Amino acid sequence: MRCNKARSYLSQAMDEQLPGKTARDLDLHLDSCSSCREYRADLLAGRRLLAATSPSLGEDFDWRLQLKLNQALQRTAGETAYPWQETGPVRSGWFGPFTTAASLGLAAVLALAMFMGPVSRTGAPGAREAMPASGALARSGHDSDRLPLTRRPGDSPFGMSGAGLRSVSREGGWERSAGSRGFALEPAWTGNHLEDLMTIQELRLRNQRLNNQLYQYQRELSVLRARLDRADSNGLDLGE
Amino acid sequence: MNFSREEHPHGTPAAARAHLSEVRDEDLIVQVQEGNRKAFDELAARYKNRLFSFILRMVKEPVLAEELTQETLIRVYIHAAKYREIARFSTWVFTIATNLVRNKMRQRSRRPQLLSLNPAPVEDEIPLDPPDPEADPSLDIQRSELAAVINEATAGIPEKYRIPFLLREVEQLSYEEIQQVTGLKLGTVRSRINRARNRFRQLVKPLLKDETLLEELEMIEARAASLKDDPSEPR
Repeated sequence: MRCNKARSYLSQAMDEQLPGKTARDLDLHLDSCSSCREYRADLLAGRRLLAATSPSLGEDFDWRLQLKLNQALQRTAGETAYPWQETGPVRSGWFGPFTTAASLGLAAVLALAMFMGPVSRTGAPGAREAMPASGALARSGHDSDRLPLTRRPGDSPFGMSGAGLRSVSREGGWERSAGSRGFALEPAWTGNHLEDLMTIQELRLRNQRLNNQLYQYQRELSVLRARLDRADSNGLDLGE
Repeated sequence: MNFSREEHPHGTPAAARAHLSEVRDEDLIVQVQEGNRKAFDELAARYKNRLFSFILRMVKEPVLAEELTQETLIRVYIHAAKYREIARFSTWVFTIATNLVRNKMRQRSRRPQLLSLNPAPVEDEIPLDPPDPEADPSLDIQRSELAAVINEATAGIPEKYRIPFLLREVEQLSYEEIQQVTGLKLGTVRSRINRARNRFRQLVKPLLKDETLLEELEMIEARAASLKDDPSEPR
């Protein structure tokens, strides 16, 4: 038997997969070939190394497994503990990156539109002149739960003006907006896409951060519990 | 692991545990199918370290490996009804684990990891597994250093060879079981294990010339043997 052939059989011989005659031929070869013996010793040492360095899990694994299992069971039973909590993306592959890219593009276009040109709802000629009184602006800013998206004339060269001036109202009701012809009833703004996107993103991040914190606390709790258990058992041993 | 509150048919929890420890895996999963959570706890105790060891050597990241170990065991519980005794339980478990690992590795290769430009918040920098200040055996340090080197060497084996190799060397599944887990032909399993062993040998060959490392290996083996004889001894 040649060395190449013998070495190809060595792996099977380690797992007792060689037929009797081939195994005997291999043994004969090994008796006479020191390099193949060394080769076999290396393979066996590799096996020993793998066995000796087998990792093991921490003490709190069981506890966390139970926690996750309970959560999974709740999910499968349709009893989500936190219905408001978003689940992971259902689709995968190209769809995820595509939607991310599309929403980023949309956000960029909206941002550009907001900063580059005036936003006008009425589109009426002379709408630029229809500036609201600063008092009305201030009032609308106080009434709303968000900052107005409008700027006072002269605040910035990029500020919006005209009938586009409006306050952001979550309620979506009608608000009075001052113009050159006095107060005119104008539909209040029901939400800015860009700002909503940013708010959603911010809330998601905060949610994720809180989830991470919760996970950390759960881990710490489980470590402390394990320690307490160990301390209890040590105490018992000492008592006996 | 004992979280269920139902009555123990075998007296104390310890007696119930001792009773379950004598039951075959295949019989335990039948009990899990009947809703016995304790049977699942016993299966989890038997397989958690084996699964973790296999998965960690595939994905290299301890946190991810732990997550995938949990996921595998959760799937075992949730899909217990799907198990049929046409194959050994271990084959079924490692098939689930292998599929999860493959999916994760495929996802990782498609979606390279992004690095944030923002510094991480302070609370996120807490290590996930803080070291136990009470445990300070030098042997553990040696063992973990050696383990890091071996894990690195294992990662050097191409993935398609690594799965059958680890299933054989670490989990000691038979060739037929590996065939069932991986869906490969028997001859392919054999040749892939052979190739992986040769590759692993090349990677660890320089280490085998290091006398200190071999001494450490012998110490670790002796320690493991003594633990096997006397499990009450602290690790």
